Amino acid sequence: MAGGQERILRRRIKSVQSTRKITKAMELIAASQIAKSQARIVANRPYRDGMRRIIIEAARADPAGAARLLATPTNVASAIVVVLTGDRGMSGAYNSSALRAGERLVVRLRAEGTGVRLFCLGKKAGAFYRFRGLDVEESFAGFVDKPTFADARRVAGVVAAPFVAGEAQQVFLVSTRFLSAATQAVEVEQLLPLSIPVMALDDGPKKLKGYTEFEPEVEKLLTSLAPRALESEIFSALLEGAASFHTSQQRAMAAATDNADELGQSLSRIMNRARQDSITTEIMEIVSGAEALRSGK
Amino acid sequence: MATLKVEIVSPEAALWVGEAAALTARSSDGDFTILPQHTETVGDIVPGVVRVATSAGEVAFAVHGGYFQVGPDGVEGQTIATVLAGVAERVNEIDVARAQIAKDEAEAQIAAASKVEQHDTSAHLLAYAALQRAELRLRAAAK
Repeated sequence: MAGGQERILRRRIKSVQSTRKITKAMELIAASQIAKSQARIVANRPYRDGMRRIIIEAARADPAGAARLLATPTNVASAIVVVLTGDRGMSGAYNSSALRAGERLVVRLRAEGTGVRLFCLGKKAGAFYRFRGLDVEESFAGFVDKPTFADARRVAGVVAAPFVAGEAQQVFLVSTRFLSAATQAVEVEQLLPLSIPVMALDDGPKKLKGYTEFEPEVEKLLTSLAPRALESEIFSALLEGAASFHTSQQRAMAAATDNADELGQSLSRIMNRARQDSITTEIMEIVSGAEALRSGK
Repeated sequence: MATLKVEIVSPEAALWVGEAAALTARSSDGDFTILPQHTETVGDIVPGVVRVATSAGEVAFAVHGGYFQVGPDGVEGQTIATVLAGVAERVNEIDVARAQIAKDEAEAQIAAASKVEQHDTSAHLLAYAALQRAELRLRAAAK
């Protein structure tokens, strides 16, 4: 009967509404996290920029050392790929775009005959690549929502170890960059040899060599600086990843809430129509029953 | 007038930014002081106390290793000195009781690790680093 259909619809509406409550709550939580994680990016900027300036300064003064530490190697037998995703889903394309970019990179490197060693940041990356049958060397999780500098330090130590030991010649990081509140983009970045300063080397103001003093001498300084710079770059990437995750989640959950609203509305329209129909049928039955009784007299 | 702008920066935040008369710290080459109009310099900072002399008195920081850069600022006659420290805190904000507890814990861990002869394990190194940090905090706060 029509009443049965009405009951089913009422149940669906209730379930849509409770889903909406969840997505709405997640949207609000993500929104509150966006501001916080954005503030952390801003707070980190002076350190990151200062570190880059120092590296550039040192690289300018010691081109030979810089070539060793900063140049792109020509013969890469083995490369390390680090992929940064979130610990949780429900964040639109945030995880999947980084994962896909990471997979493309792995495929490209293998096609070039380079051995790939995979490291994962965030629960989703580890789970995805293990499921795909890729060999994940180490997976870090539990801090990508709110990374601390100590986390970055730990990660830097682990991914740099094979590079320092000469087992790998290149380290890549696949992560989502927080370009602005409206745009986030997945980027593949060469972490080691350090790549950022090399690009900036040419556009800086030209200075006389030996103009800057170094304490201790620049060769020593550059060697000790490299791991610190790596930590700094990883920390910035973690912060930007966290902000991108929250932004992406907020957007996805806002869309889900809107969809739930729409679905609830159309369901309640269908339900009202069904109820109307059943009432109409009932009236018709009563009326025709009464008619039949009267004509039967 | 020649002025000196000092920035003490950690990865999580800028700890202190302001005008100063001098900045004193220790690099692996030895103690140094930066005054306004100092030549462009880049160097490291060994774990220790970094002192900033301002018109309102001295501000001290416990810096657990880092780097510094001195150079001209955009403003005419102004020198800027940036201290980059992975871990650093203002000396007057150090929690002595907590540092003491951390020191005791680290010492206990080192003692435990030494017994089973694990001198090179990372846990041992971490405990040793924690001990150094705690000792620096206590030393800085005692002064």
